[in-house]
Amino acid sequence: MIETGDDLEMTTPPLLEVADLTRRFHGVVAVDHVDFDVRPGEIHALVGENGAGKSTVINVIGGVLQPSSGSIRIDGQSRHLPTPASAQDAGISVIFQEFNLLPHLSVAENIYINREPTRGPVIDWQAMQRGSMEVLQRLGLEVDPRIAVDQLSVAQQQLVEIARALSFKSRVIVMDEPTASLSDREADRLLEIVRDLAAEGTAIIYVSHRLAEVLAIADRVTVLRDGRRVFTRPREGLDESQLVAAMVGRELVYTASPQRVPGELRLRVRDFAVDRVEGVSFDLHAGEVVGLAGLMGCGATEVVEGLFGLRPFAAKEVTVVGQAIAIRGPGEALRSGFGYVPDDRKRKGIVPDLPIKHNISLGVLGRMRRLLFIDGRRDRSMAEGFKQRLNIRCHDIEQEVAGLSGGNQQKVVLARALASESRVLILAEPTRGVDVGAKEEIYSLIDGLVADGMAVLLQTSELPELIRLANRCVVMANGIPQGELAGSELTQEAVMTLATRFDV
Amino acid sequence: MTSVVDGVRRTALAVWRTYRVGLFVVAVGLVLTLLTPRFLVEGNLVNVLTNAAVVAIVGLGMTLVIASGNFDLSVGAIAAFAGAISLSVVPTLGVGPGIAAGLIAGAVVGFVNGLIVAELRVPAFIATLGTLTILRGLTLIYTGGRDIYLVGETGYKILSAGAMPVVLAVLVAAILAQVVARTRLGRHVLAVGSNQAAATRAGVRSNRILWVVFAIVGATAALTGMIISAQVLTANGRLATGLELSAIAVVVIGGTPLTGGRATMIGTLLGALLISEINNGLNLLNVPVFYQSLTTGVLLLAAVGVSTAGRQFMKRAILPLISRMSE
Repeated sequence: MIETGDDLEMTTPPLLEVADLTRRFHGVVAVDHVDFDVRPGEIHALVGENGAGKSTVINVIGGVLQPSSGSIRIDGQSRHLPTPASAQDAGISVIFQEFNLLPHLSVAENIYINREPTRGPVIDWQAMQRGSMEVLQRLGLEVDPRIAVDQLSVAQQQLVEIARALSFKSRVIVMDEPTASLSDREADRLLEIVRDLAAEGTAIIYVSHRLAEVLAIADRVTVLRDGRRVFTRPREGLDESQLVAAMVGRELVYTASPQRVPGELRLRVRDFAVDRVEGVSFDLHAGEVVGLAGLMGCGATEVVEGLFGLRPFAAKEVTVVGQAIAIRGPGEALRSGFGYVPDDRKRKGIVPDLPIKHNISLGVLGRMRRLLFIDGRRDRSMAEGFKQRLNIRCHDIEQEVAGLSGGNQQKVVLARALASESRVLILAEPTRGVDVGAKEEIYSLIDGLVADGMAVLLQTSELPELIRLANRCVVMANGIPQGELAGSELTQEAVMTLATRFDV
Repeated sequence: MTSVVDGVRRTALAVWRTYRVGLFVVAVGLVLTLLTPRFLVEGNLVNVLTNAAVVAIVGLGMTLVIASGNFDLSVGAIAAFAGAISLSVVPTLGVGPGIAAGLIAGAVVGFVNGLIVAELRVPAFIATLGTLTILRGLTLIYTGGRDIYLVGETGYKILSAGAMPVVLAVLVAAILAQVVARTRLGRHVLAVGSNQAAATRAGVRSNRILWVVFAIVGATAALTGMIISAQVLTANGRLATGLELSAIAVVVIGGTPLTGGRATMIGTLLGALLISEINNGLNLLNVPVFYQSLTTGVLLLAAVGVSTAGRQFMKRAILPLISRMSE
């Protein structure tokens, strides 16, 4: 049983050591003399903001990148890991956030890829299936190893990745944000599995943004900031605010959602139905944030996409400032006064090949035309205005959006939604994939907009975010609204109670 | 300070992207001048330019389609179809209406392509392969499998006479370059090509953009087809066979990526010039016809390979150097 880092130090020698690791890219130092180690049976969490150097470290451990100086040691021996295959041979498996599964091949084939058991010249399918069943059972995953991986849920695919690592007899498993796309229940199950693996002696390096999760599971935590190690400490005695402070380099106070004074009625929705969602009704006033919340698949996403004209819907009433509106497409939604920040910035938000300024003005080019041509000065000055107002950090608004950090990309998408002079702003998962510092910044931007009289409809699956931003909230489960919470009733516990009401 | 350096960096990359093909045009020109006295002669150069212009015009339309994230394989068939329509209208209604009829025919067929791609969500590759086959068939039926000649009517020659094809190519390039750089349509085309889901959510009517883009490439294909018909005063169902591949080739060589979201019209002009120059050189050097296709292919791969390597060189060596100078 592992108790504290100090005890470990004395009892067990490290299995894997990251020793004085430095990695530069074109002269820019991404990882700067980082040391830490992980012992057999230990869960060692690696945390830090985006860009802190976590990915670089795990890529070096996985043989994807080479160190500029320093080394990786296994059992005290410095090991050269020129390729991912050599890392695997050394007993290291890295499970990246973007899975390395082959979607059209079967579960068994994915587990045994590149080292299929053979009988003579042909693959021994039976041995492969038997072996797969064995590891899958260890993980409690009851799927037929013959079915294709793309038939599985994301959580199941995650487990197949782990199964592959197990079948390699890996002694060190590195997991990069393993719960990022899992539901809470699936995440809990995964954490149990990780604990079991550690109990059997596997060393785990666990990279995550979710600090509560890290504190629940890790034996020790290493915090990286700007490529340097801030500290490695045993979990005991650590709390979230300490971790956040170490990650961002300052005390970050999560301000409570400010007092809000609702003004005129902006949006009125009655008996809204879309896909399998039914009976959604709410009012949204100027100067307030109304949340739509629930577990994954509760239907909140469908509601906001319907309102923005991305899905056909039926409703008894949808009025914006008293005017009944018809919405058959995003263009009409924009003209009716909606602004929209989509839930998936990469796939639905940014236009990567266009510069920042063109991303911002994309929806309102009709307004800045002079004869046939776009007025370049208005285009520019509008972007400069939003750069100031939203504090978009970039060298220049001519820069391509693809080169910005996640938080700044999100601000560009927000700027685009505001550019249409919307009266109702729909925010779907406004801080997904954004690091801790930028998150709070986006929250205060939203606070500012609301204080200036914006009406915000917020769809989020992160409860702390909901509590932080919303002053009222409609909670949904299985496509049916379960109730509305406001003021002091609006707590994480109350939301969860409603959200799981039909979830037997 | 960083902002200035960043601007220099970006400008350097943009200039390189646009004009790197120009280096090859000059280099191949120099080599040919050294190898044969017949290259750098006015008559021959007009030839090179005219041949380049014919492919460039349809290539410019193709640049727009590729920037929107699509392809059009039916341009050769559209060229033949529009040529046949045009030549059969001229004897009764005259040259002007004949040319207009060809352009309209091309734009309408392109528009139908756009409808199929945008509304039925058929991948452009399949959709335009279908219209290619249908149009070739239609043109053969319409012409009865024979050639349509234009007898006695010399006014039509205006399309191919003297510098006209070159003038038209430059004109089309200038218009489309302005469209891409400065109009709402152009901005929307790039957005759809870069990320259609995001463009749609920003209020761009992605489907309408595709109708328009395919209609434009249809019109440019028709113009190319009519110039070819004017050169030989003939139209038939087999005219401009394989034009689609040359058109895509000049776009790619010109530096417009097949992944969409970017376009360079000047690049396409230069790409067409490079291919025309190479073909011309092989003729002048009396390379047997069988070897010409082989040589052209190899040279094209080399050109694309070297320009990709050149981009790597820019990224790895030149740009870090600019960054370092700022420190």
